[in-house]
Amino acid sequence: MRARLAVVAGLCLLPLAPLSVRLAHLQVMQHRRIADQVAGEVLRTTAEAPARADIMDRRGRLLARSVPFWSCFVERARIRDRPTLARVLARLLSLSNAEVLRKLQGRERFLCLKNELSDTEVSALAAAKLDNKKLIEHGVGVELRHRRFYPNQDLGSSVLGMVGTDHKGLSGLEMVFENRLQGRPRRLEYVRDGAGRAIYRSAEGTPAVPHPLRLSIDRDYQFHAEEVLREAAARFQARGGMVVVQDPATSEVLALAAIPSNALKNPVMQDIYEPGSTFKLVTAAAALEESLVSESETFFCENGTYEIAPGVFIHDHEPAADLTLQGIIEHSSNIGIAKVVERVGAARFYRYGRAFGFAIKTGIALPGETAGEMQPLARFNRVVLAAAAYGYGVGASALQVANAYSAVANGGTLYEPSIVADGRRPARVRRVVSENTARALSRMLEGVVERGTGTTARIPGYRVAGKTGTARKLDPRTGKYSESAYMASFVGFLPAGRPLWTILVVIDEPKGQYYGAQVAAPVFAKLGRRLLALAGAPPDQPAVPSGAVP
Amino acid sequence: MKQRHSSSSSGVRPRRAFKLAAAALFFMALVWQHVQATRLGYQVEQARQRILALRCVNGALRMELESILSPAHLCALARGRMGMSLAAPESLRRLEASAPAGPRPGFLRHLISRTRQATLHT
Repeated sequence: MRARLAVVAGLCLLPLAPLSVRLAHLQVMQHRRIADQVAGEVLRTTAEAPARADIMDRRGRLLARSVPFWSCFVERARIRDRPTLARVLARLLSLSNAEVLRKLQGRERFLCLKNELSDTEVSALAAAKLDNKKLIEHGVGVELRHRRFYPNQDLGSSVLGMVGTDHKGLSGLEMVFENRLQGRPRRLEYVRDGAGRAIYRSAEGTPAVPHPLRLSIDRDYQFHAEEVLREAAARFQARGGMVVVQDPATSEVLALAAIPSNALKNPVMQDIYEPGSTFKLVTAAAALEESLVSESETFFCENGTYEIAPGVFIHDHEPAADLTLQGIIEHSSNIGIAKVVERVGAARFYRYGRAFGFAIKTGIALPGETAGEMQPLARFNRVVLAAAAYGYGVGASALQVANAYSAVANGGTLYEPSIVADGRRPARVRRVVSENTARALSRMLEGVVERGTGTTARIPGYRVAGKTGTARKLDPRTGKYSESAYMASFVGFLPAGRPLWTILVVIDEPKGQYYGAQVAAPVFAKLGRRLLALAGAPPDQPAVPSGAVP
Repeated sequence: MKQRHSSSSSGVRPRRAFKLAAAALFFMALVWQHVQATRLGYQVEQARQRILALRCVNGALRMELESILSPAHLCALARGRMGMSLAAPESLRRLEASAPAGPRPGFLRHLISRTRQATLHT
């Protein structure tokens, strides 16, 4: 009886044997492969990137921020009934039927229908159904994206740069600090159920949200720098212009304005120009530091015309006879400075030019910085040397010129200009001149504003030091200096007793007036007055009562 | 002998039943855990989506605020609508405080008691 039962049971279970073998094969031998296959079909992995870091000014005010937004897209391959889908989506997204239809005609795999969806639009899309099926089954989805937002519009755009559609830095600080601004994404795992809803499974790692990048730029200074520059450029119908505001004690850049405004280019440190008479500072510094010229010594300035070599003439815009070094600087005498540089000599002049940072990159953390140009020492003859003494044949960036004047303002030390306020001490490059020489130079520059060519830069109640510069531009067609195109500039610092700011103003090709004193110095004074008012800096000079003759 | 056999078989049966019940409980716990994980997964995902949505709204509002507070906008309002102009540096004087500017000790308490008295009187 028992044997019979065993046979019957065996016969009944026999068909299950191959099934058991197959099951064991799938569950044990093929387990990994099948599990991976299933995971590939239902399990989704996505990288959740944190928002790109903010960029702030020196006082923590926002300059750039990444703002998330929802974007609606459609997967073209999954569209079944185009007109019906267009009708539904047009209603949900507040778009016209024709517009949605036009967008659905696109050739891309994923068609973007609308960006910046509102909260209600996102909810409506999630709940909407088409032919008893959720929209997701018709290839409609929403995606979280980020947009880089600059709340001050174009303010400081040449410094900040821009990001591309992939939200990666293309220029400016956005490009230089790309790795610093981007956080570390975390991986999220989720599965989709039959209705297409996501079920969270796990997260790998914690999102590393990057800290804001704080700049040395002051938003208010930048705004005023750009505004006064724009006004001046409009008034003189200039081709462009640049303004640099630096803290002379540390060489921190407080404002860096350039017009025309371009987020892809920053001419302040990418372009060079011939600094003209503002370069006389280098010649004077070399002469004083090497004790080659005494303060009382005079130079004969040839009454305005000097034949330095046969057929080569130097002219002064203001003819003079005998001038001291102070007088040469105050009246911006080209002849006088040419005679001074003869005493300095080419080697010393070249050395001081380099010591002030010309023809060397300043090291600022902005892309594409130019080193500038100085003739090689071997090429210096009498004419080249004389021209270089008053800033011709020398190519400098606006930042280099401002930085050299900052060195004089702070007592003779050259610092590396910085744009990021990271709490580190300013990088000292070298001592260029002694404190005594820096003081003497500062007095000369004050004289320029008090009595010389730069009286239009005066600010009542404050001591101002500065130098005018007017340089003809090279005409690229003829290879000669133009008779009509000039670079007008003024660079100085204030208050001269305890300088708070070095300001450089350069106006490119002004129309009508073209002297630095007429075009750039008033812009300097205007900006200086605004900065003084913003900082509440007390006057350092007794003001002349109104109506009194100074 | 017979009695002993029946007592041992009656002891095996409850033990087996207990084992089966434990296995069933364990299995049910696993199922419950799976169901809970799925339910929480839905909730986490919904919360995550809500956070993202709120972040979008917050970002848009913050940007609107920053745009309103931008110097260009404020300047346009001050100059255009209110007829204000920039102050000249010589017209400003910074007042240097000789005494500490903060409230005196007990000032706040004094202020509260005065306010309370005034409220009672009215």
